[in-house]
Amino acid sequence: MSIDRQMMEVDIACVGFGPATAGFLHTLSQAMTAEDGSILLESKVMPGMPLQVVCYERADDIGFGVSGVVTRGRALRESLPGLDPAQIPMAAPVKEERVLYLKDPLGKSHRSSGVKMLDSLFGLLGVKDHAVKLPYIPPFLCKEDGLVLSIGQFSQWIGNQLIGSGLVQVWPGMPVSEPLLEEDRVVGIRLADQGVERDGTPGPGYMPGMDIRAALTVVGDGPVGPVGQKLDEHFGLPEGNHQDEWAGGMKFVVELPEDCTLQPGFVLHTLGYPEPEIFGFLYVYPDRIAALGIFVPSWLDSPVRSSYRLLQHWMQHPAIWKHLKGGTLRSWGAKSLQESGQRGEPVLVGDGFARIGEGSGSTNVLTGSGVDEAWATGVQLAEGLIQLAKEDEPYSHANLERTYLGRRRNSWVEDDARIAKQARNGFTRGMIPGLLGMALSGLTNGRFNLGGAFRRPWQRIPAFKDYFSERLTAQEIDTIVEDCRQQGKPPFEPLMDKLGWPPIEYDGQLLISHQDALLIGGKVQAAHGFADHVSFVDPSVCDDCESQICVAMCSGQAISASEGGGVPQFDREKCIHCGICMWNCTNGRVDNPLRSNVSFAAGSGGLHSAEN
Amino acid sequence: MEKILLLAHTQADGSLPKAAYESLNAALTLATDLGGAAVTVGLIGADVQAAADSITACGATNILAVSGEDFAASRYSTDTVAVEALVKEAAPTLVLAPTSSRFSRCLPGAAYRCDGRIETHIADIKVNDGAVQVQRWYYRQRMVATLARAQRPWFLVVDSGVFEPWQGTAGSAEVQALEVAIGDDCRRTKVIGVQTPDSDTQTIRPEAEVLFVAGAGWTKKQPDGQVHIKKAEELILGFINSGKASLGSSKSLVDQSSEGGEVISFMSHLNQVGQTGSTPRHPKGLATCCHGEEPHTVGWRFIGERRAISLDPNCGWAQGKADVLYVADAFEVIAKVNALLA
Amino acid sequence: MSGGFHIVVCGSLVPDPLQTLEPIEGPTGPALKNEMMLPAVLDPWAGHALFEAAELAKNVPDSKVWLVSLGPKAKLQQLMMSIAQKVSFELVAIDGSAGGFTDPFDVAATLADAIGKIDGLDRSKLLLFGGCASASRDSGVTMQMVAERLDIVDQFLAVDKLTVGDDGVLEILERIEAGQYQASSCDGAPAMLGWATGSLPEPPNNPQVGMMNMRTVMPALQRAQAAQVGIGGVQYAAVELPKQRRETRVVNDTPAEEIAQEIVDWLKA
Repeated sequence: MSIDRQMMEVDIACVGFGPATAGFLHTLSQAMTAEDGSILLESKVMPGMPLQVVCYERADDIGFGVSGVVTRGRALRESLPGLDPAQIPMAAPVKEERVLYLKDPLGKSHRSSGVKMLDSLFGLLGVKDHAVKLPYIPPFLCKEDGLVLSIGQFSQWIGNQLIGSGLVQVWPGMPVSEPLLEEDRVVGIRLADQGVERDGTPGPGYMPGMDIRAALTVVGDGPVGPVGQKLDEHFGLPEGNHQDEWAGGMKFVVELPEDCTLQPGFVLHTLGYPEPEIFGFLYVYPDRIAALGIFVPSWLDSPVRSSYRLLQHWMQHPAIWKHLKGGTLRSWGAKSLQESGQRGEPVLVGDGFARIGEGSGSTNVLTGSGVDEAWATGVQLAEGLIQLAKEDEPYSHANLERTYLGRRRNSWVEDDARIAKQARNGFTRGMIPGLLGMALSGLTNGRFNLGGAFRRPWQRIPAFKDYFSERLTAQEIDTIVEDCRQQGKPPFEPLMDKLGWPPIEYDGQLLISHQDALLIGGKVQAAHGFADHVSFVDPSVCDDCESQICVAMCSGQAISASEGGGVPQFDREKCIHCGICMWNCTNGRVDNPLRSNVSFAAGSGGLHSAEN
Repeated sequence: MEKILLLAHTQADGSLPKAAYESLNAALTLATDLGGAAVTVGLIGADVQAAADSITACGATNILAVSGEDFAASRYSTDTVAVEALVKEAAPTLVLAPTSSRFSRCLPGAAYRCDGRIETHIADIKVNDGAVQVQRWYYRQRMVATLARAQRPWFLVVDSGVFEPWQGTAGSAEVQALEVAIGDDCRRTKVIGVQTPDSDTQTIRPEAEVLFVAGAGWTKKQPDGQVHIKKAEELILGFINSGKASLGSSKSLVDQSSEGGEVISFMSHLNQVGQTGSTPRHPKGLATCCHGEEPHTVGWRFIGERRAISLDPNCGWAQGKADVLYVADAFEVIAKVNALLA
Repeated sequence: MSGGFHIVVCGSLVPDPLQTLEPIEGPTGPALKNEMMLPAVLDPWAGHALFEAAELAKNVPDSKVWLVSLGPKAKLQQLMMSIAQKVSFELVAIDGSAGGFTDPFDVAATLADAIGKIDGLDRSKLLLFGGCASASRDSGVTMQMVAERLDIVDQFLAVDKLTVGDDGVLEILERIEAGQYQASSCDGAPAMLGWATGSLPEPPNNPQVGMMNMRTVMPALQRAQAAQVGIGGVQYAAVELPKQRRETRVVNDTPAEEIAQEIVDWLKA
């Protein structure tokens, strides 16, 4: 069937509005016109006008449902001289930074003998509230001169300035489904179809996604973005690179209790609990607001991952709970973090396209920093384009490599990324080698690194019986799994209960059910007329799936188990687009070893909260 | 001293709606609370004598009326002229009126013409230290304010169901008719009539004892993997008719029509309760197959006793909102309820 | 009909209905906590009015749609990025509070003043559109007062349908009591229609419409005049969240027969 698809031409089409695209648009827009209003960067599609630059963002507004960060803010400050955190809601300079090693006050976590030894060793430093304050923060982790930011608020702050300038257009609520490829040249993007059924077939009010043709497509759609995925499928990853390391970040934005003494700019990192591999964070904003949460890494080799339940246990750790007790949930969110860093770097430039930000592998996995690097890559691309405009050169592979990539490769982003490149190798072998590896790489500036062989996330998840062999009998496991299958429930909660994790005693404010967290803090919505963006590629694989980890890890309870087992149900109206299902699935695809059995495509909607 | 004008309009049969008696009671109570403020009644309609007779014993100082064929129908241009004339004659400081589609349309403009101010959806009226305070809801029933105003005349449009209706013996009332001239410019609008839904699909019943809220679950796949719209329609209509209930729907159920999904044939946006729908007042409410959250459950705000049937024990309509939640299949339960009610 | 309509839609932003709202005492009266941070959407009923206006303009040649919005400029800009993709309009922006506690009398004066200043607006062709109420003040009074100030005496509230005859006569269905409609006719513009939900679905996002609108939206925002709209003469004694939590008795694992009997007993009690 031929589809009557509308087409529009612009000079530059951007996909996704996050820190990278913001950095790109900020730098570019500042160079577009002179102070007297005359045009410095002229459009090719509309001669006599400034460059026509549009950006399409999937979320219903810019800054919806992103994340809270602590960042050194080097690139941000360079671009925004005189940056005053007081002008940005929920921002503060870092005042104090602490790292806590959390011991297990309940004795329910999965602790290897190495971790138990670490518990004892750290215990020598003095234990308070079942936690040990590390006396030293390695310089590579230190953010002392940095900022705590809500990226939601920051994105709105900078986005409003950009839109208000009238020089660039940022359109929220518009998912981009794919790049327009002509052989190896990207000639623009295709927006998602509207007025379609759940499976994508045309329905009432069908409006085929428009083609936006552009001389340059800037791909900043993050770690799970559909355009980035399609480019990876087309070009493959550069030799030796992989995207096998991920983390699911889940967090709360909390109004701290009135008697809380934590000051704005306080930064806390934790490790050790509720499972040793889980890192936690707490950043304090002005007005007694804090962002806090945990990262569940793909190398947490547990088949019972549920970020929500684990987060509730983390919050109740005595060393954390003493700050939170009496607080109230304000907002909630989750996201995937591409933790392969430079190892996960895709093909960054080609004819007509360039990739920036987290999806381009810019996150530094050693320093735990991504926003600043993402912003920097956007700035570097904009500077490259300004150079090309001056030279009147096209956006060819060679030119983008020379200008954008040249800048990126010669910047601190690249220098730091090289140091970090092998810093995570140790985690392929476990928690202790992981920490040692990070320390080794960090303290030797990447000259010495531990080795390690990476596996796909789905190759790492053990069967229940293997994982729980020392704590539950095969029969106990079988009973729980079968009961859950019949009831259409995933088995992670009953398994955690069986292991002795105490039930969460809800206080109605901060300790609340997952469902309530979604209602109170989640604020999720999906526009009508878009197709389901999560699908299960080979249903037979789901039939045989024991762990149903996609259900357990689904941040928004958008994926639910089917009664009697089989392909899970997906509810678009609950999905927050964290993309965790995509990499958490325990089954790889036969036809595409890069991808799991869960397909994550372009979709509309998600969180309606900028307090993130 | 405050001076009160109670406005009311007749229905097609010349009688006053229940809400008018409620507002009358509110006006009389307020007058007493103010230490004996004078109350004038102002009536609008084709023929208001019967209406006036029905309230003649209320103790109002006098009954004014603007009547005649020009004032039979509910029309902005003529209704504002009528209200303006009544206010001019009575010279009140407070104008009370019941909420109706007719008054909701004309009173704001009339208040403007009288250089007055207006508050609608009044949920309570009190006298505090000699000053009149009213209560009304903001942000779609999500917060409630108590407020006062210095400006007069102050129009207060009272929500129905808030006050008990005034009751008294009918008699023969003396009505002071006001002559109001209507120009051609007021006749550009002609009321053609009222469109009433077919009797077997009449589902909105403001006077009903029970509000039955149907959620999107009725049109979703049931345990057998199939959608059973016909069965759902039969069960819902069965309950509405045998239980003499009013039918409300959640937003998501109504939205399905714009998504092209299968819908309950006799339900429309008019049935919607909640954020972008109505917030009706009924003594009891039964929510079925609803899911959703705070902004939509405001449809429950003014329901007295609330119960819910849902397969989801965390149903947002039920937890903390309803008195009882039955975790059960509504198809099964309502079939049995209907059988018992039959 | 000839000449087309000049349709002016009044509509502004309200907090995204998904947000948790909390009243606070601000410097000039009650306000919402974090009001400037709360995500906002186009007031739903005003949205329906806008979509109906766009559809009408599409069907009646030589018609034009203006959207008159009173709200904080920065928030209006953000809002425009969402709605400007949906239908074509020319924006008239007024920089001021869009909060629910503002006095409708003052708001109406501000809106009427802005409408009166629209270049090229032909009052004889004017159809004034708006929502039947806002989702913030939820009063349903502002549009009538705007219309009064513009000398419009043909007014309709809770409109779900407008049909324009070949002779320019408007046929209008208004929601009235008990799920009924009042049908009226009006001898053409000027008229005010306060819309309920209308009959149109929300239009899809159309990038071309967005690009087109942006040519006028940004200059309109830059031109936006500040307006002082406050709580007027209202004295707020209290603004509170209702005590809404009930103790919910959860009945689990009970046969349908028993549940049905319990419900029937309750209904009959």
